[in-house]
Parts: sequence; C-alpha cells; structure tokens
Amino acid sequence: MVSLAQDVAPSSRSGRLSAEATWGLIMLLPYIAIFLTFVLYPVGYGLYLGTEVKAYQRIFDDPIFLRTLANTVIFLGLAVNLKLMLALLLSGFFVHERRWIRWLSFIFILPWAIPSIPTILSFRWMLNAEWGMINSLIFQFTFQDGPGWLLDRVYGLGSIITIHIWKYLPFWTLILVAARLTISKDLYESADVDGASGLQKFLYITFPGVRNMYITSTLLSTIWTLGDFNSIYLLTGGGPADSTQVLATLGIRYAFGMSEVRAGVATIIVALPFMVPIVVLMVKRLRGEDR
Amino acid sequence: MASVSVEAVRKRYGALEVIHGIDIQIPDGEFVVLVGPSGCGKSTLLRMIAGLEEISGGVIRIGDKVVNEVPSKDRDIAMVFQNYALYPHMTVRENMGFSLKLRKAERGVIAERVKKASQILGLDPYLERYPKQLSGGQRQRVAMGRAIVRNPQVFLFDEPLSNLDAKLRVQMRTEIKALHQQLKTTSIYVTHDQIEAMTMADRIVVMHDGIVEQIGSPLELYERPNNLFVAGFIGSPAINLIKGTLRRDGGRNWVATEAGIDLPLNGNASGQDGQPVVYGIRPEHLVPADNGGLPVTVSVVEPTGASTFVYADLSGAQICGVFAEHPGVNPGSRMTMMPRLDRVHLFDAGSGQRLAG
Repeated sequence: MVSLAQDVAPSSRSGRLSAEATWGLIMLLPYIAIFLTFVLYPVGYGLYLGTEVKAYQRIFDDPIFLRTLANTVIFLGLAVNLKLMLALLLSGFFVHERRWIRWLSFIFILPWAIPSIPTILSFRWMLNAEWGMINSLIFQFTFQDGPGWLLDRVYGLGSIITIHIWKYLPFWTLILVAARLTISKDLYESADVDGASGLQKFLYITFPGVRNMYITSTLLSTIWTLGDFNSIYLLTGGGPADSTQVLATLGIRYAFGMSEVRAGVATIIVALPFMVPIVVLMVKRLRGEDR
Repeated sequence: MASVSVEAVRKRYGALEVIHGIDIQIPDGEFVVLVGPSGCGKSTLLRMIAGLEEISGGVIRIGDKVVNEVPSKDRDIAMVFQNYALYPHMTVRENMGFSLKLRKAERGVIAERVKKASQILGLDPYLERYPKQLSGGQRQRVAMGRAIVRNPQVFLFDEPLSNLDAKLRVQMRTEIKALHQQLKTTSIYVTHDQIEAMTMADRIVVMHDGIVEQIGSPLELYERPNNLFVAGFIGSPAINLIKGTLRRDGGRNWVATEAGIDLPLNGNASGQDGQPVVYGIRPEHLVPADNGGLPVTVSVVEPTGASTFVYADLSGAQICGVFAEHPGVNPGSRMTMMPRLDRVHLFDAGSGQRLAG
C-alpha cells in the first residue's frame, strides 16, 4: 500500500504495465467501450453526416430555411428571456414561507411535471379557431370571431412561445426561488434600516444575489429551448405552410418527412457555431471559473 | 442623539406571548446592554426598537416621538447585525455609503463621512475590497462603520461579537466601548454573554422568559442581585447557591442546611426564623480559613495563574472558591473556606427574591 503510486505508474524500463495498472485498464475498459459506442460514435457519425456541402446548398436554397432560422432566433430570444424574467418575478412570490404558498407551488409545478403530449395537444384543441374553447369564449363575450391562433405565422409563433413558457416557467421559477433563498434575510433587514425601497432592495440585493444563477439559467435554457421540439411539433406542426418551423422541427421534417437525412442533420449543425460557445461558457460557469 | 423609552411593551406571535410588558428608560447617550439566556426575548425587543418586528402592545419612543408605526428607515437608527449583513456585491466604501446614497446625500458629503468613519475604525486600506475579502474582525468593523456613517440617534447592536474568536471578541469589546465614549450616541446592545454585558454597559437589563429581572449598573447587579436568576446569571464562575433554613437565636443568625452544616450570616440579616432560604456566596468571596469556616473536600483544583479555582464538596453541595493565592490543596484534601459575611446574599427559597439586608 505504501508504494501504491509507484506500482500504478507504468514501469518504463521494461515497457510493460505493472499488475495494478493492467487491472486498472481492464476495469476501465467497459466504460471506454460504452463511451465509444454510445457517445463518440453517434456524435461522430452525426457530424460525418453533416459534412456534405451539397446538403447545405440544398437547405440554404430552400426558402423555408431562412424563415425557419428567423423563427428560431425569435423563438429563442423571446421565449428564453420572457420566461426567465417572469420566473424571476414569480420567484419573489414563491419565496415567501407561507403554508398556502407552498401548496400553491405544488399546483404551479404541474405544467412542468406532466408529459407534454396530452397537455400541448389539448392546448391545440383549445386554440382551434372555429370550435376551440378560447375562441368560443371570445365569441360568447364579444360576438366577434377570435383570431386564428394556429393559422398564421405571428399568432402561431405567439401561441408556441406562450405554451413553451407555460410549460417551462415553473421549473425556472423554482430554480430562481432556490437562488433567492441563498440570500441572507439580514441583508433585507439591513436595507430596511438603511432606508431602501422595495425596488432598491431588488436592484441592490436580490438581483446581484441571483445574477449568476440568472445568467447560467439563460444559457442553459437557450440550449434546451433550441432542442424543444414538442412545443412546436405538437401545437402547429410547423405549419401553416411551414411558417412556424424552427431548426429542430425542420430538421426532423427533412430527415423523416422527406427522407433527406443529410439535409436534416445539416439543419441542426447550422446552429452549432452559436451553440458551442454557449456550451463552453456554460461549463466554465458551472465549474466556477468565470466568476 | 436621543433617549429611548420602552413602555409596557409586549410581543405576541398569534396566541403565544414572548414579551410580557417591559419598561426600560434609556437616557440620551447611555450604553445599555440587554442580556439574558437564549429565548429570553432580548433580540426580539431590540428588533422592535429597530422597527423590524411589530409591537403587539405598549409604546416605544425615540426622543419624544412614538415610533410604534414608524418604519425602520424613518426611526433614525443604525443597526449592527450578528453576521454583519454586509452587502456582498458592494465594496467596503459602497457598503458604508449605501444608506447615505439612498437618502440622496451629496457625493462629497458621503465621501467625507465614509472617510471619517474609516479613519476612526482603521478601515482606510480596505475601502475598495469586497466583504468576502475581509477577515471576521474587519467585517465587524465595516458593519460598525456603516452604522457610524449614518450619525444616527441610536445604535442598535444584535450580538455583534458572537461570530468572532475569543481574542478578537475581547479586542472589539474594548473598541466598541471606546467608540461609544468618543461618539456618545445612545446605544442598545444585545448579548447572551454576561462578561460582555459587565464590561461594556453603563446599565444592564437582565431579561428572562420575556420579562425584565433587574435593571442596574454592572456593579449593582453584581453586588445586590434582586433575585436568584440575576445572582446566578451575573458573575463567573457562577455564585454558589446553597439551600437551607434561616435560623435566628438572639443576636445570632445562620442558615442550617439539610446536611447539618451551619452557614454563617451577619447579625443584621433579615427574614423569619425557620424560613426556607437560599444562601448565596460568590466564589471570590470565600477565603481559606484555618478554622471556623465551611469544611469541604476538594474535588478539582484549577490554577489559572492569576487566581486558583477550587471546586469542592460541602456535605453533598458542590461549591467553588476562587483564591488569589494557591491554597496548596489537592483533590481529596480537606480545607475550610470562610464566607465574607458582608458579601453573603440571602434569597427566599419560594419566590427567589432577595431578602432585604
């Protein structure tokens, strides 16, 4: 045991591994095999599929693609930021230690906790322009026809963003509640004595206290929202006339709807130059290197 | 600066009353320490004065103004919190100037006041640092500086030294006291440490279970504790308390313990013959005697250098004596300790109140 380090180090003189090092390698092999088979190979094969230049020409020539790119930017920009701002606001309510607020938070978490398919499909029915619940109500109260929620690009994207926020807001609210809970109550009392208003307390204590978590959440949510296929696919299916596609849904449409796998992969890879820096920044932050 | 007056103040949380009507008058410029065991209500009372807790009953005045409904920020007080409550995202300079900035003071005024306070507290080299870059003692000073900069009518301290190590605590104790002598701002200081209370206070308020047990100068509390609680709380090592029965026979008074020991009393002690009493004598008021004292068997001897603590058994009762000279005894040896009769405290065993005399 005393000479463990020596034993483990490969013996350079004989060019052979010591018994411990050999066994160590044998123990590592299953992990290495699984890593190669299920991580490196799929990612590598995916990137290989995306190396064909023709595929990129194909998608950039497609008029749908540029609109999809614009949709994706709008979706990410609005959904992520609105969601997190609302979450920051709501976390200020859910952070209060009252019993009824705790019970309310159980109800509040439901949209995030239950599976997407039934809920988003039921929203799809509710938003149906002719017989959906929402337009029926609008008609009952105003005797006007409501808008075609899923029948037009602007309303469609608006509905998608709203449903996305509905679905993921609870999660981020809880994350920011946790961040707020790390702020010592003394600071607020001290600010009370110092004469701070509610807004000043938010600006000088709350926001600086949750800022790191807020930025990390924004990065993480951007990555996840880019991969949010359900909110679009289940609500509008990318329609009408492909006007509400985002990269994730368009990629699937190319790959499986039109059997152009390489074009599908290329669609997603287009996002990589934007995503890789975010992922790098994210990992750095999580490791605490970027404080 | 201002006086602070607490009149019949009560605090209830729902049906539970934790402060049962407290009266304290604090004249302008006085340093008052609220002391008591945890849960006695001292911090709650301080927070009511600060405006951080609602007042369930009674009146609190700062100066001539009733402040019951006045929000914290308009009470013209500054508070030093137990864990300092420094704003982590502000530098020392910003922390100290924050309250003035909120009050829209001019930049020049803020800079000048921060400078003055940082000079008083020796914080000049640290003004651009963040709280996490400071040691405990430095943070403590910043918290003080933040209070000084305001130049408030009243300073409130909520156990400000309890997070410091023992050596620093003693040092800061002296610094706070010196600061008070320099600024002469009315100060209310909460602690559970009776030594802090004794060394810092002009007057001490001893609290217990939501009531005031006694208010007085440190020496008054030490020399004439009103009741058993105050007697036991003030003084270290704690006062020896021995149960017995008061005996009077002609001009002679003594307390007879159940074990058959007679504890000597002055001729002028009050109380009825046969009354159950508690006999109190502080360890430092026992002297080694050749004869005529209390016969004890030594159990532990603790030399501290300056004095020697002797813990001993008096027919079943544990007593402690503190002697300037090492009495030359060992565990197991027998000695006699003589109480200084003018220093004996006598309490009624039932009520715990001091018997006059």
